Amino acid sequence: MGSEAIIVFLIAGIVLVAGANFLSNLISHKSDNPQKREPYESGMTTIGPTWVQFKVGYYLFAILFLIFDVEVAFLIPWAVVFKDFGAIAFIEVLIFLVILGLGLMYAWKKGALKWE
Amino acid sequence: MERIIFYSIALIMVVFAIASVTSRKMLRSVIYLLFVLCGVAGIYFLIDYNFLAAIQLTVYAGGIIVLIIFSVLLVHHIEMQLEIAKLSRQILTAVACMVGLGIFLTTIYSHEFNVVENSRTTTTADIGSKLLSYEAGGFILPFEVISVLLLAAMIGAIIIAKGAKLTGKNDKAL
Repeated sequence: MGSEAIIVFLIAGIVLVAGANFLSNLISHKSDNPQKREPYESGMTTIGPTWVQFKVGYYLFAILFLIFDVEVAFLIPWAVVFKDFGAIAFIEVLIFLVILGLGLMYAWKKGALKWE
Repeated sequence: MERIIFYSIALIMVVFAIASVTSRKMLRSVIYLLFVLCGVAGIYFLIDYNFLAAIQLTVYAGGIIVLIIFSVLLVHHIEMQLEIAKLSRQILTAVACMVGLGIFLTTIYSHEFNVVENSRTTTTADIGSKLLSYEAGGFILPFEVISVLLLAAMIGAIIIAKGAKLTGKNDKAL
């Protein structure tokens, strides 16, 4: 059952998207002029490149996100067997979370979560 | 059926891997890499490694790619296209890649793969019970040490990212 469902899903996805594009190409009204290709029609054209350099502050948030992402990855197997283990599993994961909570407190204290 | 899925995923991965290294715009390379990582997760799902596939999706496709995107966006001249390398360098790279591919292929083809009867895959529940077990063969100590490792990584990241500002503040306080 499993793999056939994937194939059906894949084919349905391709057919739906391709079909919608093809149909809209087929029946839509076609016109082309220079104004149509402007980013804002009847507005001002943008000055300079659209790429902007990001602030370094984003990077710290990305790293913090990654660390808690890894933490959640370790919580998945814990959550699956939590009912079998009972209170011991709860205490074990509590230690795990408290140690990481210290890290969060440190980040908070040092102003790493503050936007500058 | 599994063969069809494997080859389609492999095709997607190879196409996007080639696109990732040949694209001359950095951000596009990163997005192609994202598709390759999703393909790896698909392979893991195919061989019933559900937990590994979930890790691949959350940590690699979710976390690492975000990190790479931010580091690309922090670069000054992002709209700049990467230069095409010199011909001598291209040839050297091609030779190095071919040698690597040759070593891989000889290792794979010289190894005899035996089919295991009634192979049983490790489920997420197995991993969880091993991880939380404090009896012999359990991994509860490594599990708790991981949190210390993550804590060290977090503090290190904060110190490196805000180093100058932190010491400045401390000097004032002292």
